[in-house]
Amino acid sequence: MATTTPDPNQTDDSPPIDFGDLKSDCVAPRPSIMGQRRGVASILWLSFKGILRGMLTTFSYFRRPSTVVTQQYPENRETLKMFERYRGRLSLIHNEQGQHGCTGCQICERLCPNGSIIVTKDKKNEATGKPALDQFIWRQDTCTFCNVCVLVCPFDTLEMTGDFESSVYDRRLLVFNLNEYAGPTADQLAKLEDEELAKQQMKHMEKYQGPIPMCGGKMDGIPSLDVEKSTDV
Amino acid sequence: MADVILNPISLTLLAQSDSPSAALASADASAPAPVVAAMSLADRASEALQSSVGMAILYIAIGLIAVLTVVSVLGLVMSYVERKVAGHFQCRLGPMRVGPHGILQSVADGIKLLFKEGIEPGNGDKVIFIGAPVLSITATILLLAIVPVAPGFQVVDMNVGVVYIAAVSGIGVMGILMGGWSSDNKWSLLGAMRAGAQIISYEVSLTIALLVVVMFSGTMRVSEIIESQQEGWWIWRGHGVAIVAFCLYLIASTAELNRTPFDLPEGESELTGGYHTEYSGLRFSFFFLAEFANLFVFSALAVTFFFGGWLPFHIGNYEGFNNVMDILPPVISPIFWFGTKCTLLIFLLMWFRWTFPRLRMDQLMRLEWKILLPIGFANLIVAATVVITGLYLFPSAT
Repeated sequence: MATTTPDPNQTDDSPPIDFGDLKSDCVAPRPSIMGQRRGVASILWLSFKGILRGMLTTFSYFRRPSTVVTQQYPENRETLKMFERYRGRLSLIHNEQGQHGCTGCQICERLCPNGSIIVTKDKKNEATGKPALDQFIWRQDTCTFCNVCVLVCPFDTLEMTGDFESSVYDRRLLVFNLNEYAGPTADQLAKLEDEELAKQQMKHMEKYQGPIPMCGGKMDGIPSLDVEKSTDV
Repeated sequence: MADVILNPISLTLLAQSDSPSAALASADASAPAPVVAAMSLADRASEALQSSVGMAILYIAIGLIAVLTVVSVLGLVMSYVERKVAGHFQCRLGPMRVGPHGILQSVADGIKLLFKEGIEPGNGDKVIFIGAPVLSITATILLLAIVPVAPGFQVVDMNVGVVYIAAVSGIGVMGILMGGWSSDNKWSLLGAMRAGAQIISYEVSLTIALLVVVMFSGTMRVSEIIESQQEGWWIWRGHGVAIVAFCLYLIASTAELNRTPFDLPEGESELTGGYHTEYSGLRFSFFFLAEFANLFVFSALAVTFFFGGWLPFHIGNYEGFNNVMDILPPVISPIFWFGTKCTLLIFLLMWFRWTFPRLRMDQLMRLEWKILLPIGFANLIVAATVVITGLYLFPSAT
């Protein structure tokens, strides 16, 4: 039983509470630096050294303008290189032949925390006999750039690019297709051996095309979408 | 050497005055000790008062206009420099947009502040609220008046200069306290109370550090303190004692200026803006100007007391080196040396500000009352011993 808790039934003339062996912790801590107790001279020297080191660190930044990380953005727009880890616009990777690697497995769609990805696919492509991607729709307006889609993609076909200039005049324009064609993946097309047949399977897909939610849809009281106006960037 | 440098300046400055010889008359030809070669504006005003009131008023007006100009120019230049320096200390660029390398940024800011609405808190104390920034900047202007830029280039040069400095620098805190109290805002009040406690505490150390130099030079007149350093600045001649005093002064003046690591009165992360949270427009700019002008004033005073003011850098009896240092024409030389030293010290204070983290309030108080003050008193006693035994370096000067 802790002796420190006072009995609520005690009257005013009760003897002072016995704290037993408990001693107050409120003693001034002995001077210590980095967990070691030191003498005054040692503390003074260490403090001086610490101050000097801090000042030299800042001065080394000051005297070298190359350490400046600020980007003069609108001026250096041509040469601006975003950082590797920067998460900008989502992109479906296309190789040199303009072929992507998306099989339309819809894992990204299922794991997207806020439903920003809609993947539609053909049940069976007539040439390869396998399901093929129809539309990879990305809703940039609801995307939180959490990077989950990139991480879960079994074929590593997605990446976050450094492109951050995504402002548009109509928010319907923030919903668009990522794939440049509807059709099988690069691997499946390579197995076809007939280049002409492979070319035929790649049906061109515009950025704004098809039954994309909100995009291009004609609704009452809403002006029709003017793609030209917003793609002038 | 002193006459070579000082006389042409006093002549050019006194060209319109009636008697340059009157100023030089006070110089005792036999003694190498302090030579007051030039008169300050206030001296000239009081002299002119005997003949015509108009001239006296003219001199006072010149002094006032000069000080006000200095305050505004300092505000403009130093706010830009501070932001640039801060930027590069933190791997940023600082202002870059207005003019080449943002050189007109402070002009743009000044115009913006002029056109902003001066908001007054509804339940605040209006009279005190309006008076606070004025009082704050008044203290700065009064302090600036005693800063000796060059021989005769000084508004007031009184025989109790150091006492005046100690007294007037305390007025500034009154403005801060008034501003915080009248704002009807918890943050403002807390910031003002912190500022009050801090500035009044550190003023003790500041004055004690200055007293060491007063003991060395044996005078309280700032121009004579500078003259007493002809043979070597006090920071060298006073060896360890002066260095300790200078360190004390540096720490205490940083606290007086409310700059990091002692910027508790306006610590943004704790108190938004501290005592000037509720201020906007021109009244805010008054606080702002006072802050930057104070930075200059305290650096200038450190230069005056420890680094020989307008005197060039000399090493003992090395004539060759000393001649190289005297190479500038005597009109420019004092301004150049004073300006260079001031700039370096201001940079040092900015360097402090952008390097160190903020102290806690109890740490701040402990530093002053338990560490700096005992060191200061001990230093004062040692300084007295040094003065009595004449243990200066370069003793030929005394």
